[in-house]
Amino acid sequence: MFGYIRPLKDELKVREFEQFKACYCGLCRALKKEYGQFSRFLLTYDFTFLAMLLWDGREEPKTVSARCPASPVRRKTACELSPVLARCAGYSVILSWWKLKDTVDDEGFFTSLKDRFLLLFYKRQYKKASRLYPDFKEAVSENLSALRQLEGQPGATMDACADRFARITRAMAADAAQPEIRRPLEQLLYHTGRFIYLLDALDDLPEDVARGRFNPLVGRFDPEGGRLSEKDSAALKETLEHSGRLIGAAFELLPVGAWTEILKNIIYLGMPQALNRVFAGTGDVNRRRRRAKH
Amino acid sequence: MNDPYSVLGVSPSATDDEIKKAYRELARKYHPDNYHDNPLADLAQEKMKEINEAYDTILKSREAGAGSRGQGGASGSYGGYTGYTRATGGSPEFNRIRTEINAGNLEYAEQLLNASQTRNAEWHFLMGSLCYRKGWLDDARRYFQIAVSMEPGNREYAQAMELINRGPAYTPYGYNYSPNAVGCSTCDICSAFICADLCCNCF
Repeated sequence: MFGYIRPLKDELKVREFEQFKACYCGLCRALKKEYGQFSRFLLTYDFTFLAMLLWDGREEPKTVSARCPASPVRRKTACELSPVLARCAGYSVILSWWKLKDTVDDEGFFTSLKDRFLLLFYKRQYKKASRLYPDFKEAVSENLSALRQLEGQPGATMDACADRFARITRAMAADAAQPEIRRPLEQLLYHTGRFIYLLDALDDLPEDVARGRFNPLVGRFDPEGGRLSEKDSAALKETLEHSGRLIGAAFELLPVGAWTEILKNIIYLGMPQALNRVFAGTGDVNRRRRRAKH
Repeated sequence: MNDPYSVLGVSPSATDDEIKKAYRELARKYHPDNYHDNPLADLAQEKMKEINEAYDTILKSREAGAGSRGQGGASGSYGGYTGYTRATGGSPEFNRIRTEINAGNLEYAEQLLNASQTRNAEWHFLMGSLCYRKGWLDDARRYFQIAVSMEPGNREYAQAMELINRGPAYTPYGYNYSPNAVGCSTCDICSAFICADLCCNCF
């Protein structure tokens, strides 16, 4: 959905990189199996991270060789379908659908025509996912409508806004039964949500200011022409790095699992890299391409 | 109790130095400073206890087994989690709020704080602590800042400010991100792959 949460590839072992790709392909296959061919477009790195985080067991993940529509010639190695992958696929369908709905509610009729179409298009998949994961659907709809209300309130701080999104990501840990695992997972996912939300806000800042759209950073800082001053930029970076360190502190309390090494890479190297890229103005490649089109 | 060697993540044949090193790394990881004011502090404390016990058990069994070989490394375990009690002496109202925050009853503490009539330095400090535990780090920092500027001499507030500037310090060995350290171009990767491929075919 945002693509900030991914490993720093150069620091992965080749074997780990292959495993990461297998998990990514596994999630893609789970999307297809549960929600049909077109749901594969909803595949993201963020949910691959989630799948590795919620993974059951310590054993080496079992893989299968599978065909891939994006690369028809060569077969790909993918993780076997599993309840965790199915769950992550369901979560990503629910969250993507609400994100589309949010865009449609935000924009005029004609600008969001494409999203309007997609919203109808994914309606059936969304219904299935919300039937399977009603609690998560509830968490998403409740917090997003609360966020919408906050956007209209002048006194709402950026933390209050980020909190709503972070509660959604925290709800992804709700299935863990043991409290000594669920609690660190919740903190980890809460701060991952906060990190994503505020980083995304920074990435969108110039465009939001230019088009007069809501952005949580505007109330806290005073961005002139969509750019933060050096001091404000440092303050935002510091608070995001702090979230990053709390993610690490929570992660270290989780038991060692099949994906620990790759998760470590994402948390301690990949996320700081994403942060640095957005602060340097060279954020997500897709986003820049999209911006250039506007 | 679990096998002490697996708690420290070393094999039973590891040397004393290896065990010490593994213990140090784990102790650095779960050090109270990394979980200060963190709602997960109790879990970290539990881990620390487990590690200390495992380390002590191994040291004792080795000393007993090797007679004179027991070196000075014993009793090196970190005590740890004491820094959590706070200086008290404020109003009974605020003491109660402190207790609620420490017990994790954040919603109730927030109600009490909002209902309070005073807006002194301590109120701002407590508001900061509350925000920090909720994960509202930027708001927490701003409340702490107000508390410090209202009462610059207060050590507790200054410490809170310092902690929020620093955050948990732990990163695993070899995982320090620095943006310029990645010196590997796409071309390097390609040629590396070509070389690797050639090697593979030789075997």
